[in-house]
Amino acid sequence: MTPVHFAFSTTFILGLMGLTFHRNHLLSALLCLEGMMLSLYVALSLWTLQLNSISFSPTPMLMLAFSACEASAGLALLVATSRTHGTDRLQALNILQC
Amino acid sequence: MTYLMFLLLMGLIFGLIAVASNPSPYFAALGLVVVAGMGCGVMVSFGGPFLSLVLFLIYLGGMLVVFAYSAALAAEPYPESWGNWSVAVYGALYLMGVILVLFYFYGGWYESSWVPVDELSGLSMFRGDMSGVALMYSSGGWVLVISAWVLLLTLFVVLELTRGLSRGTLRVV
Repeated sequence: MTPVHFAFSTTFILGLMGLTFHRNHLLSALLCLEGMMLSLYVALSLWTLQLNSISFSPTPMLMLAFSACEASAGLALLVATSRTHGTDRLQALNILQC
Repeated sequence: MTYLMFLLLMGLIFGLIAVASNPSPYFAALGLVVVAGMGCGVMVSFGGPFLSLVLFLIYLGGMLVVFAYSAALAAEPYPESWGNWSVAVYGALYLMGVILVLFYFYGGWYESSWVPVDELSGLSMFRGDMSGVALMYSSGGWVLVISAWVLLLTLFVVLELTRGLSRGTLRVV
């Protein structure tokens, strides 16, 4: 495992742990998801660049498009919850059982 | 090059620790900006300027503006930064975990394992990633059509989620 592999694996795991363990806001969870997507982008790009396989390089672009879909759906959920409940704290959503 | 790569990878990991240690969304978005910038630096150092440019322009320019807007929407009067006690404790815990895993892998690294391999520059007119991304329009055409369709579908999903009539989310209670 080279240092670069260590770096993007660690960022992915850190984003996953942050998403899993402690979240107060819905937006923080979305930001952790974005961090995971960013580490995946770096990983796919480094796959292309290290293995010199240029026909693989559209893959990070497509992953970026799909992560844009994920981010927009999550932000729409954020806007919807903050409009109906006035806050985006996940604890309030837990208490209200919605 | 070795030290530059070392700094960029350290910045990548520290930025993700800053995002994952549960601060307020303003500061988490700031950490995400740091992570994106460091990722751009890593990709430039590995010889992929076009992928780095796409990450910088599309990711930072497109997504983080939307995230700044949403952070303004989810505002709170007393935001927690990294100087706050619980956030600092979580950040230190993550940092300790990273250092433990680092000690496990550190023995296998040597001096030239930081240095990227760059063979394609002598063989082609463009950089390899630039001509590789152009393959998306020729042999990857159907995937391009599918992803454009998915983006259009996401537009309708978002419009349906935030619609303000009796069926949508904004209801008269």
